[in-house]
Amino acid sequence: MPGARSFADMPIKQKLVSTIVVTTAAALLLSGAGILFADAFLFQRYLRHDLAVLSSIVGDNSTAALAFDDPHAAGETLGTLRARTHVISACIYRADRTILASYRRGGASRPCPPAAAGDEVRATQSSLAVSHPIVLQGRRIGTLVLLYDLGEIGERTRLFGLTILAVLLVSSVIAFLLSSTLRSTITTPILQLAHSATAVSTTRDYSIRARKSSGDELGVLVDAFNEMLEGIQFRDSGLRKALIDRGAALAEAENARHFLETTLGSIGDAVISTDIEGSVAFANPVALALVGWPESEVKGKRLEEVFHIVNEFTRSAVESPVIKVLREGAIVGLANHTLLIRRDGSEIPIDDSAAPIRDASGTIQGTVLVFRDVTERRRAEEVTRRLASIVESSEDAIIGQDLTGMFTSWNRGAERIFGYSADEIIGRSTSVIAGAEQDDEMPGILARIARGERIEQFQGLRRTKSGKLVDVSITVSPIYDELGRIVGASKIARDITEQVRSVERLAQLNAALQRSNESLARSNEDLERFAFVASHDLQEPLRMITIYSQLLVKAYTGDADPRARMFIEYISGGARRMQELLADLLAYAEIGALVDDSRSATDLDLVLAEVKQNLKAAIDESGAQLAADPLPTVIAHRAQFIALFQNLIGNAIKYRSADPPRIRISVQDETGQIRFSVADNGIGIEAEYLEKVFVPFKRLHGKQIPGTGIGLAICQRVVEHYGGRIWVESEAGHGSTFIFTLPATARVRKER
Amino acid sequence: MLGGGDHKARILVVDDNPGDVELLRMALAEAGVNCDLTVLDNGREALEFVQGRGRFGAAPPPDLVILDLNLPRNDGTEILEAMRATESYAETPVAILSSSSSSREQAKVEGLRVKRFIVKPPDLDKYMRIGVILREVLAEERARGIAEG
Repeated sequence: MPGARSFADMPIKQKLVSTIVVTTAAALLLSGAGILFADAFLFQRYLRHDLAVLSSIVGDNSTAALAFDDPHAAGETLGTLRARTHVISACIYRADRTILASYRRGGASRPCPPAAAGDEVRATQSSLAVSHPIVLQGRRIGTLVLLYDLGEIGERTRLFGLTILAVLLVSSVIAFLLSSTLRSTITTPILQLAHSATAVSTTRDYSIRARKSSGDELGVLVDAFNEMLEGIQFRDSGLRKALIDRGAALAEAENARHFLETTLGSIGDAVISTDIEGSVAFANPVALALVGWPESEVKGKRLEEVFHIVNEFTRSAVESPVIKVLREGAIVGLANHTLLIRRDGSEIPIDDSAAPIRDASGTIQGTVLVFRDVTERRRAEEVTRRLASIVESSEDAIIGQDLTGMFTSWNRGAERIFGYSADEIIGRSTSVIAGAEQDDEMPGILARIARGERIEQFQGLRRTKSGKLVDVSITVSPIYDELGRIVGASKIARDITEQVRSVERLAQLNAALQRSNESLARSNEDLERFAFVASHDLQEPLRMITIYSQLLVKAYTGDADPRARMFIEYISGGARRMQELLADLLAYAEIGALVDDSRSATDLDLVLAEVKQNLKAAIDESGAQLAADPLPTVIAHRAQFIALFQNLIGNAIKYRSADPPRIRISVQDETGQIRFSVADNGIGIEAEYLEKVFVPFKRLHGKQIPGTGIGLAICQRVVEHYGGRIWVESEAGHGSTFIFTLPATARVRKER
Repeated sequence: MLGGGDHKARILVVDDNPGDVELLRMALAEAGVNCDLTVLDNGREALEFVQGRGRFGAAPPPDLVILDLNLPRNDGTEILEAMRATESYAETPVAILSSSSSSREQAKVEGLRVKRFIVKPPDLDKYMRIGVILREVLAEERARGIAEG
């Protein structure tokens, strides 16, 4: 509400005045209105009563005139009403309601109201009508009726209102005057106080005091203000004095600071100091370089932000050294294996310690953290440790000795070979383990060592703790100190007893292996020879059976018993089949038997062309399509590769699906080998038979697809004969891919 | 008809398998070759025949020798070598009738001036064609003899 706001913003003096004036006016208005209404009510009650009395008196006085029906006397009685100026008119009715006498105020023309049945006062807007029965000896003989003008009441009310208004005005004026006086007693001291405060703040003169003019709350306020100024004045003067002292101290401190910063800047360790809160106050150049932050950014940062450290193994954050120092109030060295994670994320192993900074009174003011990059040291330690562990875990004896021939170190390998423990032997002479002939060689060796020579792998005999002699191979080299002087010799001795024995055993094994290889080759050869001869010699009688059963059929066609003919057919059919089997067996045996061992450069493109020619009938009949990469030339038997390709392609045509066969021959060079593949879209092979298809005479199909089952066995034999491998990848119903490899060495440059 | 007429060709057959000899006879007959066959069924006899020893006395060299390589006692190669070492047989035409198609067999007779190397076929019709081949050899030989006078 704007009204409320404007009231809140008013000066106090206006607030006071308006409050008082409004309060006074409201009180007067309320009480005036109350009195006015009370008066109007009481006056009307009084008027009714008065009129009742009046009508009773006039009625009583008219009794006689009514009784005697004397209008004149009645008229006189009514005439007395003239004294009451507000009575407008009056009438006396007879019992039969005829008028006996009437009265009218001068000039009034209003008629008498009719008589009522009993006593009655009836009010209208502007008048009251009073009806009063006149009774004689208990009998009603007539009625008096009066009409009273109410204009009197309005007049009275108006007068009252005016009076109240006048009182209101006068009292408001008085209230305003009074409040104006009051205002000066409250606001003036406040304004004075404010003025004093302004003066103090502008002039910074803390000797100004506010004037106290009363003992009330404002007086208390002024006292408090003055007291405060007193305090400020005291502090201010103290500060001024301190400032002057500080000027001199500052110059001195600046010198000291400069000196310290120069010192810290030039030392090799990283130094960071923090304040008591753990925020970085200073970092020297080494520290900045290690953490990887520029100087301008580190100041004021939390130490943990800049100096982020983790445990090297657990990778968990390490407690901030500053927090630890502040908590324990003592110097702390950080745990080993601390990694500093630099700003760019790289990691540096560090060694560090932190200490509290105390002032003259011993109060902790901050901390100082000193750390250094230990990468190099760690690397050196690592190398040393590794070398030590190599020496310690070596199977060979690694022995140190000084130039007088005393043992100075002795590893586990030495313990194993010679039987002495390190504790037993260090400090004793090398002659302890000397074999019989060692007395002769040792001085010579030491002399050569002293010249800085290295003596490699000479063999000798040494004596173990148990007295046994061992064969050792020894290398001796000089040991130098930091200044490059020879201070001793290191000996590496290897027990070669076992080695000698191993070599012998190996030779025996090799001989045995060779014998068994030879016998294997022999039996293999015998087997192949057997297969060859057997199949060859079996052909002879078979040929007889075949041809003579053909002759029988030819010679006796017509007159022979049909059953006899059928039997002859069976004989010739069986013979034919046997013929095929033998031919295949022979072909198979021949591959290994190497009837003709003259391999020559064989252009597989030409081989393929010949195979296509051989299979022309089958290709034309099936509508087969052949696509082939350019094939290499290899050192091989032409006939064997014809057999290989002819079997693979022939199979692809033979085992075709409902679609015309599509055969794709690809070649790929791989490391150390050439990979060939013959892929078809035929009926495929079920997974369980993928291996079996290469077994000789193993067939997956019945007589409806002709064949002896030797084809793939021949393929396998050919490929393996050339040091390759053959296998098939297939899925029933999704074609087959026969893959074979040849060693890359089989390839020769093609001449075109 | 070639091989027919007045001259009856004399043919020496060395084969230990009577079945083959019978078939050979049929093949020659079917090819219309008019001939006398002398059949020997082992290597030793064949060797004696060529060298004019034993029961064969001084039999004249035949017009054609049909030789099986796989023979008992002395094999075909041996006989062929003996023939080429004998003056009267040095130029006698020889057809090898082998039961083996192996290239090794062929290599054995390399350089021994063989006219035909025939592999005994496992089929009657093919076998019968051998007669035709032998007829050609005889015809060639006769033509050469006429040419040389």
